[in-house]
Amino acid sequence: MIKSLDPRITRAEIELNNSIAPLEENDQWETYEVFHQKKRGDQHMHVGIVHAANPDMALLFAKEQYGRRGQSVNIWVVKTREVYTTDYEDSDIFDTVPEKMFREAGGYKVMEKINKYKKEHKI
Amino acid sequence: MYGNAYIDPNEKANSIVAGEDPEKLAEFEARISKGEKIEPKDWMPKEYRKQLIRMIEQHAHSEIIGALPEGTWITRAPGFQRKLALMAKVQDEVGHAQLLYSAAETLGKSREAMINDLITGKSKYSNVFNYPAFEWADACIIAWLIDAGAIINQVANAKGSYGPYCRALDRICTEESFHLKYGHDAVVTLATGTPYQRKMVQDALTRWWPPIMHFFGPSDKISQHTEILMKWKVKMASNDDMRQQYLNMYVPKIWDLGLTLPDPNLKKNEETGKWDYTEPDWEEFKRVINGDGPCNAERLAVRRNAEERGRWVREALKTADTKYIVPLA
Amino acid sequence: MNTPAIKELLYKMADDLLIIGHRHSEWTGLGPILEEDISFSSMAQDKIGQSQALFQLLHQLGEPDADTNAFTRNANQFYNAQFAELPNEEYDFSTVRHFLYDHADQLRFEMLAHSSYEPLAKLARKVKGELKYHVFHANTWMVKLAQGTEESKARMQTALSNAWNYALGMFEESKFEKELIAAKIFEGEAALKTKWIQAITPFIEKAGLKLPPEKEWNPVYGGRKNFHTEHLDPLVKEMGEVFRVEPASQW
Repeated sequence: MIKSLDPRITRAEIELNNSIAPLEENDQWETYEVFHQKKRGDQHMHVGIVHAANPDMALLFAKEQYGRRGQSVNIWVVKTREVYTTDYEDSDIFDTVPEKMFREAGGYKVMEKINKYKKEHKI
Repeated sequence: MYGNAYIDPNEKANSIVAGEDPEKLAEFEARISKGEKIEPKDWMPKEYRKQLIRMIEQHAHSEIIGALPEGTWITRAPGFQRKLALMAKVQDEVGHAQLLYSAAETLGKSREAMINDLITGKSKYSNVFNYPAFEWADACIIAWLIDAGAIINQVANAKGSYGPYCRALDRICTEESFHLKYGHDAVVTLATGTPYQRKMVQDALTRWWPPIMHFFGPSDKISQHTEILMKWKVKMASNDDMRQQYLNMYVPKIWDLGLTLPDPNLKKNEETGKWDYTEPDWEEFKRVINGDGPCNAERLAVRRNAEERGRWVREALKTADTKYIVPLA
Repeated sequence: MNTPAIKELLYKMADDLLIIGHRHSEWTGLGPILEEDISFSSMAQDKIGQSQALFQLLHQLGEPDADTNAFTRNANQFYNAQFAELPNEEYDFSTVRHFLYDHADQLRFEMLAHSSYEPLAKLARKVKGELKYHVFHANTWMVKLAQGTEESKARMQTALSNAWNYALGMFEESKFEKELIAAKIFEGEAALKTKWIQAITPFIEKAGLKLPPEKEWNPVYGGRKNFHTEHLDPLVKEMGEVFRVEPASQW
């Protein structure tokens, strides 16, 4: 038995050369992706994962692991396996050619037209 | 709380990038040199993945094992403030382990596999936690001076190239700043307290100084291996550089309290701007890392016991449709 | 204001929270899985923090400062229910105690939120959120563990049966019971116990567990009158070990 400096360990009566069966697959359950909202009006942000056996516990754990400091008002958890993602390999699909100004605010220069009109008509 | 990745100097490193697709490798390296992060499903060299898993896993193990020396005093912390703060600090270490295991999982090693490697002694963790916390002051010294070392390492590594590890470290570093403040306050309280308290903290400091000097590991051998790991931003600073940075920041603060460090050669060399010190006993370092330190056997036995006591609990909550997949980020 | 009655009420609450928080903290770093380790530790911190707040109220009523009061008394000067001091054993008993205690704690503070003793009412309103989380946590764990494997179901039933009479001991009446009720400071242990049974019953049923038959209910009293099991003395000595070396020092 371990005679430890930590009284908790001494009380637990632990054999120094104990051996245990290895942890099996799914011993640590599965993972949930955690989304955290700091205050009302903010977006929920992805902050990490928790291992949990069910959604109720995932919420309890997420609250403590990601919300125990600072402000929080709301948490979402989603099973990792239920999240659909794009591949980083395909991140070039987000590249936009600069000519596509028709969907950018900067592509519309109304003041130029107004000023030109005003100048021409001496308004 | 973690010093630096222990890279076995005898490991064969001549075939690091052998067999890697040169085009993909070039793209990968270009991304890193631009300062972009690598994300879990990106292509990466085998050696990058292997070293990152090893490093993040060692870091995670160091957190969960690191909860034990400080945990030694959790039921005996003197007064409400210390009792609450120590509980919160040890809790944070467990939380850090959770964040780091999660980051390592994104590279494809399950938490179960990592825990199994820890409890069988296959994986390493920071050597410093194989030393005992004899008195209350030892827990205070750990909270201040070991966490201080960990911050230096973690701040450097947070600028590394692997996204999930950097994100975990950002969160961890924020919490470590509470540890450092708490630890400093606890040490200052003892050092400015009664003769009994002052002696207790001096004794603890004397005990912990050699492990602290070991904390960042021996001087790096200049090898192709280290160079590549630095180029890939896996290893962010040399062990000696981090040690120098540490000495520069903390020795003056320790001396300022009128405490003594057990190294007569420790002084700042005005010419080089670096700290001179007696070379730490690296034979002891190796002995301890290979299992023969004062607490190695106890630390692992305690972890095995904790896993075993929790097994029925984890088993009870497992459902038939539990299906693990690698976390996203 | 009936100071002796208030003091007695504050002492028993403060000691319950201190001792149970201390017991909870024994799991920190050694819990069944990392995420639960973190959650359980937070609740331990909440308990100790609430205890400290109650000791501060006692200090305002002329008792020693919180640290001296909590860390230097001997076991035979403590007012906690014996239920709080029992060792953690395994996660079954720890969870059952957490469930039974936290329901009572939440209801007690809910009652006290309307207490005529305003400092306590104010504190009760402040800790409402913490207690709600503790009860959420307890309900979830109690039900899930009892619905788990054959082993876990049996363990939870045994733990509940073993805990029951000690849990009933939480409601040991004070000699000031009538005064507290009359002065609208606290509605009393009997009313609390009735509410508690109502609150826990649906979860015990949902969990598929059984309470011992009522004729076997035999509350373990004594804690409120400083009588304790053999487990409290070593706990208190351990908790005060460092503080007591120099109780007048800053730590």
